[in-house]
Amino acid sequence: MPEKAKIAARQFAILVFMFTAGSSLLLAPAMLATPAKQDAWLAGILGLGAGLLLGLLYTKLGSLYPAMNLAQYSEKILGKWMGKAVMLLFLPFPFLLASLVLRNIGDFLTVYIMPETPIQFIHILMLIVVMMGIRLGIETIARAAEIIFPWFIVLFLLLAILVSPQIDLQKTQPVLEEGMKPVLHGALLFAAFPFMEYVVFLFIIPYVNRPEKVVKAFWAGTSMGGTVIVLLTALTILVIGPDHTAREIYPSYVLAQKINIGDFLQRIEAIIAGLWFISIFFKLIISYYATTFTLARILNLKEYRILVFPLGMLMVVFSLVSSPNIVYNMTVILEVWVFFAGTFGLLLPLVLLGVAAIRKSLP
Amino acid sequence: MMWIVFGIVAIAIVIAFLEVPSLLKRRLRKELWVFSILLLLGTGISIAEGAQVKLPNPMDALAFVYKPLIDVLFGFFK
Repeated sequence: MPEKAKIAARQFAILVFMFTAGSSLLLAPAMLATPAKQDAWLAGILGLGAGLLLGLLYTKLGSLYPAMNLAQYSEKILGKWMGKAVMLLFLPFPFLLASLVLRNIGDFLTVYIMPETPIQFIHILMLIVVMMGIRLGIETIARAAEIIFPWFIVLFLLLAILVSPQIDLQKTQPVLEEGMKPVLHGALLFAAFPFMEYVVFLFIIPYVNRPEKVVKAFWAGTSMGGTVIVLLTALTILVIGPDHTAREIYPSYVLAQKINIGDFLQRIEAIIAGLWFISIFFKLIISYYATTFTLARILNLKEYRILVFPLGMLMVVFSLVSSPNIVYNMTVILEVWVFFAGTFGLLLPLVLLGVAAIRKSLP
Repeated sequence: MMWIVFGIVAIAIVIAFLEVPSLLKRRLRKELWVFSILLLLGTGISIAEGAQVKLPNPMDALAFVYKPLIDVLFGFFK
């Protein structure tokens, strides 16, 4: 059962924005620059276009049953048992998404900032805050996002403005050196991560108080979040160059390390790192939320809160198990994710829409 | 090793203390069952991970399932 809660369309847009920025803020520049090199920004723009189209798909599906979440109307559309079976297959998607997002922040902290801290404890500390948020409900999460949003913008502008003196336009040339293929490759990876993961928002859409505004809010959040990622990718390419970007694990952090105004204002990357702490927190909380409500609906529970702590225990373990090392994360998971996200973020909504349309046309 | 098991069990007991009284009071029996089973599962898997048992990686399974598609698609981009 969804909670009895209402969030404003503006808050929804901010949640979409935070989710889009999410862990892509850390991973997208390297992910785009590996195939597309100096054209990574172009791949980013193409991916964003795909993201806007996917936004339309999800809002269309969400508008069929405005008061229900994905787990509820898949039972309506496919029938009770078929719907439950499909949701049981869907369940690993938000769960693994949350585990991997958790792993991203753990990897980032243990690689760059706190190399001697065991990664488990970073995961546990992060999850405690997330679990508190989920137990408090979606209204609290949305309001927190609304309060933190200006800080995110300030930090991002600070980063963009302070590295801008080091921009070297030469680094984006030659444009389309190897044709469109590498650009399309990058765009495809970017469409799967983060845009196909938007399917978890089908658990948040029912709470928006004015359903007719969901489309606009979705587009606003997607385009703003996508712009932040594309800008960041472009800055990374322009400042540290395509080769260096592709080689780094988290180029955004290296970009922040480059800040140097008159040999005086420098080494402020730990402050800039607040950016991805904020966005990853919200991405994690939204995917965790979707996991909780999928499971609650499959089992027909009256109270979703009891699932939060036990799922958290499982999530800490799976965040360690599902990505044995960073190379695995950047190679195997990236390629698998295109299809895993494609199955549940593209195929599942299309099938649900199709079946719903057929059922409607039958008498 | 002892301490890891001890710590995980302590966490599980704290979680049970947080949730069970309100479930008993509201007589939500099914919820109590689901909670207990999930908590046991979580504790068991956490202890296995703490004891450095090699747990299967779900992403490997997915990589196996999607392998033909991955080969076709990313072969095109090579």
